[in-house]
Amino acid sequence: MMRPLMIAACFLLTTAASVASAQETQAPAAAPAAATATTAPAAVKGDAAKGHQLTYTCQGCHGIAGYKNAYPNYHVPKIGGQSAEYLVNALTEYKKGARKHPTMQAQSQSFSDQDIADIAAFLSSLK
Amino acid sequence: MTNKILAIALLASLAVVGCSSSDTPAEHSAADRGEGHTSSSAGLPAGHIAAGEQLAGTKGKATGQSCVDCHGAEGNAPIDGTYPKLAGQYYDYIAHALQAYRDGDREHALMSSQAKDLTDQQIADLAAYFGSRQSNLRDLHNAH
Repeated sequence: MMRPLMIAACFLLTTAASVASAQETQAPAAAPAAATATTAPAAVKGDAAKGHQLTYTCQGCHGIAGYKNAYPNYHVPKIGGQSAEYLVNALTEYKKGARKHPTMQAQSQSFSDQDIADIAAFLSSLK
Repeated sequence: MTNKILAIALLASLAVVGCSSSDTPAEHSAADRGEGHTSSSAGLPAGHIAAGEQLAGTKGKATGQSCVDCHGAEGNAPIDGTYPKLAGQYYDYIAHALQAYRDGDREHALMSSQAKDLTDQQIADLAAYFGSRQSNLRDLHNAH
């Protein structure tokens, strides 16, 4: 009974947050992203403070202790304290479709490479 | 009627015995697998920490590496930043990841071949072991 509600809330939050974050990060990120894109696209430096803002949405699934993915049935992984490199790779793989999970693919596709670096910087800094 | 009750009582006691000797519960019924949902962690047998610990330190044939050779002692000190910490991760997520690598739903230069020959029991044991270790991995509860 609660699960459909939770999922619906998740999607609403997601949509709202990604619209907000797109407006927020697009303009300031444009200049540095363009500069680094020609040289080394992989070497995007993450800003943990921005990642903090971007990850409010993630709490909908990753912030509830013991929360389980609906199907297949397993606990949504703990991502706080994981390394930034691993998290960047994971989000990038979801974005490209190399890793498959409907919600995570949708989420990651709303993020720029800079957003992903920021998110990874914040999550990896959690103690 | 009494036979039925006896049978239920017997099944229940068997279930209790089965659970108490395992470190992680068996995942639901095997019906999911019967329907072809092989990427689900449903249907895995119960995992054993001690068996998982032994396997975690055993070199894999395909890579010549053990789990802890790359993920570090207890899966908590990866030798490379691109390798995840396994210690303290939810056991069923670890199992799900290993099944995905084994079944080709997730790819990694080392993990795909490392997981290829793992049995369901071995996956359940590894998941039980790494999931039982302590680490700083956490969910996002109170992170904002």
